Amino acid sequence: MSRHGLQVGVFCGKRRVGQVRKYKWIKGGWRRDRAEGAGADEDSATMATAPYNYSYIFKYIIIGDMGVGKSCLLHQFTEKKFMADCPHTIGVEFGTRIIEVSGQKIKLQIWDTAGQERFRAVTRSYYRGAAGALMVYDITRRSTYNHLSSWLTDARNLTNPNTVIILIGNKADLEAQRDVTYEEAKQFAEENGLLFLEASAKTGENVEDAFLEAAKKIYQNIQDGSLDLNAAESGVQHKPSAPQGGRLTSEPQPQREGCGC
Amino acid sequence: MTSCWEQKQPVWKELGHEPGVRISSLKGKEQEKTTDVKTIKTPVPVHSPQRSTRNHALLEAAGPSHVAINAISANMDSFSSSRTAALKKQPSHMEAAHFGDLGRSCLNYQAQETKSSLSKTLEQVLQDSVALPYFIQFMELRRMEHLVKFWLEAESFHSTTWSRIRAHSLNTVKQSSLAEPVSPSKQQELASSPPAGWLEERLEGSGVQPDRTASGQNHVGLPGRGGRGSGALALRKTDTGTPSLPADQQESSKLSVSNRNSPSSALKDLSGKLMKSIERDAVSTFTKYISPDAAKPIPITEAMRNDIVAKICGEDGQVDPNCFVTAQSIVFSAMEQEHFSEFLRSHHFCKYQIEVLTSGTVYLADILFCESALFYFSEYMEKEDAVNVLQFWLAADNFQSQLAAKKGQYDGQEAQNDAMILYDKYFSLQATHPLGFDDSVRLEIESNICREGGPLPNCFTTPLRQAWTTMETVFLPGFLSSNLYYKYLNDLIHSVRGDEFPGGNIALSIHGPGSSPDSDSIGSTDGSASQSNIKKANVKILKNFDEAIIVDAASLDPESLYQRTYAGKMTFGRVSDLGQFIRESEPEPDVKKSKGSMFSQAMKKWVQGNTDEAQEEMAWRIAKMIVNDVMQQAQCEQPLEVTKL
Repeated sequence: MSRHGLQVGVFCGKRRVGQVRKYKWIKGGWRRDRAEGAGADEDSATMATAPYNYSYIFKYIIIGDMGVGKSCLLHQFTEKKFMADCPHTIGVEFGTRIIEVSGQKIKLQIWDTAGQERFRAVTRSYYRGAAGALMVYDITRRSTYNHLSSWLTDARNLTNPNTVIILIGNKADLEAQRDVTYEEAKQFAEENGLLFLEASAKTGENVEDAFLEAAKKIYQNIQDGSLDLNAAESGVQHKPSAPQGGRLTSEPQPQREGCGC
Repeated sequence: MTSCWEQKQPVWKELGHEPGVRISSLKGKEQEKTTDVKTIKTPVPVHSPQRSTRNHALLEAAGPSHVAINAISANMDSFSSSRTAALKKQPSHMEAAHFGDLGRSCLNYQAQETKSSLSKTLEQVLQDSVALPYFIQFMELRRMEHLVKFWLEAESFHSTTWSRIRAHSLNTVKQSSLAEPVSPSKQQELASSPPAGWLEERLEGSGVQPDRTASGQNHVGLPGRGGRGSGALALRKTDTGTPSLPADQQESSKLSVSNRNSPSSALKDLSGKLMKSIERDAVSTFTKYISPDAAKPIPITEAMRNDIVAKICGEDGQVDPNCFVTAQSIVFSAMEQEHFSEFLRSHHFCKYQIEVLTSGTVYLADILFCESALFYFSEYMEKEDAVNVLQFWLAADNFQSQLAAKKGQYDGQEAQNDAMILYDKYFSLQATHPLGFDDSVRLEIESNICREGGPLPNCFTTPLRQAWTTMETVFLPGFLSSNLYYKYLNDLIHSVRGDEFPGGNIALSIHGPGSSPDSDSIGSTDGSASQSNIKKANVKILKNFDEAIIVDAASLDPESLYQRTYAGKMTFGRVSDLGQFIRESEPEPDVKKSKGSMFSQAMKKWVQGNTDEAQEEMAWRIAKMIVNDVMQQAQCEQPLEVTKL
């Protein structure tokens, strides 16, 4: 019965994969060391993910032609950095970040899909169950704008009728090479019932707003009842409100007796 | 290794020299290979080396050579054997050095395991005895169950008829000369037995109808077998799925070869009975579903109906076992296009998913290949700070899937670039997201990527298997007992309840008349829209009672009123694997439980504090729950399976 602490981690080979958890011997059992609950976030790209810091999780997908800047938008949003020479996405990747809407903390789980035609078939399977979709085109390349109807068809067919779709015109910083005007894209968005923003992953302009606007719309849909947040395919996970005293609401800790790694 | 990166063009020439030798050394079935080659668009036939060398220039520009294609197809067909071959090369990794060995020693990863039992295609549903009842229920709600039932009956007729015929033919001795034309005797036989009225008419009316199928040949020779006694004739019924048609026709052509028999009265009797029973089955299926005065005819054209009639009353009274096949495929595509996607969104499918998820055997494949489950699992992996394992698995699996789908027709350079991106991210010594794969795996990946002609679709199989096993053994059990998973199940159950209530009414009102495809598809979209409208209406109506409260009354489980938190296994406690005694009644002894009875605790669970407002809300919620429950029971036309949930 050591009075020292206990550190547990999951290792794969020589590298640590799981989170390091610290335990102390408290009242006849190994208990999580509460003082260090929120730490140990070294490699994590997300902001503080202390358990149940958020009440909702919304699933987003990002779709659009290759090279329009989907991964850069995601990276700018989650890391607040611009990746100048990021490689193209293989299949899908996802990133997360917690935002706040109407006083509620919401975690966004954003699935970034590959734009290359060859990955189209595999990425289709990730559309389902998305609460929000970002459809991205490049304002300096007309062809990416012209392909929007095909992306929109896919999105409408494969997602819920309630899925919020927002059109993003990326690379707004390259004004000199603009090939698609704001007005025509705005009109396209209005005709199809989409939100619309021009953004720049490089400067960060409107990037947060893009994700926030969609989240606000989704939250509004939840409030007025058109989105059933307890349905399995809604793209929304709803957690009970912030824990009060830690025991009355659901928490993963209780089912792990002692050292749960 | 550096030389590999510098090389720009895959070198095809060396591979082209001995196509014959390469083919013979590859594993795999000959037939499959030739069909693979046929499906590939290259104009070069496999067995002419001269033409291949001539077309080399073309091939170099076009893509992988036919030899590489064969290599790829063989590899795709024998995933497991190539994997075990790779494993045999490195026997040291069969031993798990320690717990976190990325599952090197585990062999149960199946690259072909791309199906989640939670995501089904129509074909899978029709053959899955667990999912099928839910589909039939769903179709009954839309009054289209006759489509499914016809398909199932036709399918079983098809397979049992073939197996009966085969069983019968196998029991005959082929000794004598060609059987004499048996049509007159057969017709006499039939005329003597009491058939359905219309069948008799047809037989007398029609002459010998030309029947050009291979099965027709078989039929000519069938009756009037010689030799053996009756005991060996076994009318076996097969329950399982479809025997493939080509195999059948091959067999039937084999049978027709051995059709030289002398007639024998005993066997003739049996064959007569066999024929009659087959006919009876065909006729009953026809009467139920195809005949114009059937209760619910399937949507086929008049021409097709006549064709089926012709096949049932074939020459010599032989029923063509394939008579329903065309109709079946029409019905199948009707179901697939008009009904199946609705089914996937219906509460019936949710119920099926719940059954799978609570069956006690949920596999990792069920989670990873089902988007709604994956949503929750990703969140879980992120909490466990192991999201990179999942990200790697997703990316590499997607990479391999899209390569495999190309069936050899892909740009090797492009594939190599893709693979390099994954390598840089997860494998290289300066990897941005290292996963701890050890050197042997890294070297294997390097050689797979550097391969002449670009990586194959099984390039990342070894690390994929390791990641899979890690997720399966380390993270899946935790996930399945986590609150996230519980929440997922809850959401599924809620989807069932939410849909069941308005579902019955909507279906009846929309799908009243006919079964023409157009009206059905329009009807179904209307159905879903008005379903959600009605759901909206439900919530809105509730809101009118009290504007300030937004409550999802349907999500509150009436059963939870009666559940006791610690209702357990009737034991006092157990000893955990750390040697602690954990009391069953109070797993967290150090946590202060608020004083008060269980009921007041339950109340507190819902109440945000102790204000009057909150208590009012809680009381109102409970009332709503009870009302909801009662209404559901009253509305529910089906037997009380709901309570099983």
